[in-house]
Order: sequence, then C-alpha cells, then structure tokens
Amino acid sequence: MLNRLRFLSTVIFVGIFGILCFTIGFASEPPPADEAAGSVSVRLYQVEGSLPADDPNSSQWDSVPESEFKLAPQVHWKDRIQEVTVKSVKVKGLHDGQNLAILVEYEDPTEDPKDAAAVEFMVGDKKAHFAHGQPMLQVEGGPVNIWFWKKENGKALDMSAKGFKTLTTQEKQDVKATGAWEGGSWKVVFSRALKTEDEQDVQIEPGEWRSIAFAFWDGVVVDGLVKEKGSQKAVSSWWSIRAEPSADNSIFGWVIFGLALAAGFELVVVRKLRKGQSA
Amino acid sequence: MKGPIASGAILLVGMFIFIKFLLPLFTAPLPASLIYLYLALTFSGIMLYGTMSASSLESLMGPFFRFLSGEGQSGAGKMARLAVLVLFPLLVGWQTYTSLAPSDLPPGENRTIHPAPPGEFVGLANPYQNNEANINMGKGLYAAYCSPCHGPNYDGKGVAAPGFNPPPANFADPGTIAQLQESYLFWRIKKGGVGLPVEGMPWKSAMPRWEEELPDEFIWKIIMGEYDGAHQSPRTWEEEE
Repeated sequence: MLNRLRFLSTVIFVGIFGILCFTIGFASEPPPADEAAGSVSVRLYQVEGSLPADDPNSSQWDSVPESEFKLAPQVHWKDRIQEVTVKSVKVKGLHDGQNLAILVEYEDPTEDPKDAAAVEFMVGDKKAHFAHGQPMLQVEGGPVNIWFWKKENGKALDMSAKGFKTLTTQEKQDVKATGAWEGGSWKVVFSRALKTEDEQDVQIEPGEWRSIAFAFWDGVVVDGLVKEKGSQKAVSSWWSIRAEPSADNSIFGWVIFGLALAAGFELVVVRKLRKGQSA
Repeated sequence: MKGPIASGAILLVGMFIFIKFLLPLFTAPLPASLIYLYLALTFSGIMLYGTMSASSLESLMGPFFRFLSGEGQSGAGKMARLAVLVLFPLLVGWQTYTSLAPSDLPPGENRTIHPAPPGEFVGLANPYQNNEANINMGKGLYAAYCSPCHGPNYDGKGVAAPGFNPPPANFADPGTIAQLQESYLFWRIKKGGVGLPVEGMPWKSAMPRWEEELPDEFIWKIIMGEYDGAHQSPRTWEEEE
C-alpha cells in the first residue's frame, strides 16, 4: 500500500512538474508594458479576392482591425520642427498572397497640394536607422525603402536612402498610392507586390516580421510659407509589420496531442488509484 | 482546518504575498519569472516534506487520491471530480493552442537602456566649475535643445515625447542619470542615438548627435544643468569605494 502511494505521489509530482515546465516552455512573452499606450505592430490580414488597393474609402477597409501609432516632430537633425499637425496615425493592412495594401488615416484639418505621407521600411538583414538609414557609429547599418505620396503629384514615389542627402527615386517604380481627404482627415492607401525583383525594395514574406516607420507633412501655407516640408515633418520610430501567414493546421494536431496526453495521464492515475484502494 | 494540505497552501500563498508585495518595500520588484521560480521551489519543498514518511504522505496526498479515484463519491463531490477530469485536458489543449497560435506581438527586443560607453568616455571629469553661473547657462541650453523631448521638468515629458519609441529618458527618475557618471552623459549627448552599441538599438533612437551642433563646453554645462534641475547627483568613484 505504502509503495503504491509513493509511486502515485511520484507520478503526480512528476506530472505536475512536467505540465509546469510545458507551460513555462511554451508561455509567450508578456506584452510590453507600454502596449496600452498604442500599438506595436501592423498586421496585413490575408483576404481572398481583390484588394482595395486604389480605394481608400472602400467598404472593404471597414472590417479590418487598425493599429495606431503616435507621432513626434522630427527633432533628430536639422532643420527641426517642434510642433506638428499630425499627432497620430491609424494603419490597416491587407494582402492576398501576391499583393499588399496599407491604409494610413490621419487628421489634417485642411486639404493642401503640399500635403504628403510616407512609409519607410528596413531593407535586408542589416538594421537601418529610422532617420533615412543614416550611418551609426558602432553598428553597420543597411538601407531603407521609402514609399512617398504627395497630394499635388497624386501618385507614389518608390525611393531609397542610406544616410542623409542620399534619398533617391528608384529607377524601377513598384509602388502605387491614392489619397482621399474628407472632413479633416486624410486616407492614403499604398499598394505593391509583396515581393519584387528590385533589391532596393523591402521584400514582404508572409509570416516574417519587418520594420516600418511613418512620416507626414501638413502642407498648409502659413504667412506665405509651407508649414511642414523636407525634414520638418511628423515622424514615428520603427514599429513591426507582418503579412499574415496562411493558416497552419498543424497547430490543431498539437492541440489534440496535448489533450490526449493529459487525458491519458488522468486515465493512468485514476486506474492506479482505484486499484490501490481496492487492494 | 488543519493538516498538511492547508499548511502547504498557506505557506505557498504566504510566500507569494511576501515576494510579490512585501519584498518590493525594501528592494526592487522581482520579475514574474523569478517569482514563479521561487514558488516552484517552495512547492517542491512542500512535496518533499510531505512525502518523507508514510503518515505524512497519506495526510498530504490521501485526500487528493480519494477525490480523484471517485470511490464512494456522490452529489457535489462527483460533479467536482468530473469537472476537474474534464477541465484539466481542456486547459492543456488551450495552453497548447495559445502558445502555438500566430501572435500579433513581434519578437521581444531586449534593449539595454544604459549600455557600456566606449573606453575614451570612461572617467572623464567635467572641466567646468560647478557654480551657479555655469549651472544656469546649462539650464538655459537644456531649455533650448533638450526640453522639447526630455521636458521642462526633466521628467521625459516634453511636448515631442509621446511619439518616440523608446521614450526620452526621465532624468528625475533615480534609475537614470543618478546611476551614471558625468562622463557617461557626455558620451550620450555628444554621440547621440547613433553612437549606441548594438545592444542599445541605435536604429530606434531619435537622440541627435549633438557634437555636430554644440561645442563640448555647452555639453558639459548642460550636464550640470540637468543634474541640478532634476535634483540628482552624478555617480562618482568616491561614493562606490
């Protein structure tokens, strides 16, 4: 009787310990403490059928969950600005396995020809500084890919930079953008193929994380001068973006395996206990 | 209610309250993973103690075994046993799902807030005298160049602060400049965010490389103004000895 009790205690002890280890081993990291202050990533949701790639007002966007990022005046280098119009941006994203569309929505009380919006990505494996991939002193940085839209041009520019005064328009233009202003806010949708042949471009692989940053210019004219232009803009630092991978059904296999393992463990314990008590 | 189960439970709960709430009154709060580890060790100790003799084993585990075996149970006891037997596999299944399901959270980044400075910036002394004139000049420069992000109250809450990731340092917090030497601040201000080593994630920092715009004299005086304004003192070698 005593031996049986000892055996069962050991089984239960090891079982509980195993489950604790399992829980700890698989436990995901807690969300960052400042998550409540805003989003940390953009998710490009996968859809079947066509993308609202050239229509910022498409009803297809209504059901897409949004991320929101606060913006700061650009103070990193001259010419600085200390107060900007666009304080935050709401971002939505979709992809269909081939192409992606990113919608940025932000408040700007007036519609002006010089209003502009940009999204920026790190390109390749090397980390790039969010300020146009400027050189870092102790880390070898990489280039950035910038998608720039301006109201007066009505189209996007596909650009590259690796340091100050290196911003160039790429030979191969892969990005499209459409903007619509209504009631004090801009909606601009950028679209592109997930992957391109151009090594200067960010390549979006579903399931993999990339880095994204934002910039906005309020082109309103105040006292004869455009309020925000060039380096005087609202910016964000790097956040994360990922195109949703296709559904992975193997997860359910593991869930069933876990269920079966736990149920089997229970079965063994209960049977042993019953045998012990009737002995 | 007496007995090893109640004692064990009280010990576990007591240990949790002590680590989680009482200990932080005297020292820094413990991370959740460490609290978890201490509780697991306490639990192991209780189990070891409880299985030392036949009688202690019976009084510790007996009630659990009788409950799980279901012998002679009826009514509420039977339902409770059934609930436990059904819920346990479901819990394991749910845990498996949540840990494997794709998450919106990007991989965690362990950014070092105060990484080691390059050798040439270790142990430099502020060449300017710590007097009212220099401090006031430093505060004036701070107001012009630093306060938009680090705040007029030195608390990291400048008008431009909300958009930055990572946020500007809060100098009034005892965990920032009070832990650092003046030479460290000289390095961070002079070389800016781009001067950080890889563990400081320089690619995310908006801190300007002020050596391109301000002479060293201004930087040393800003440091004086910063400490005075934030009511902190620089860490010195003398204090450590």
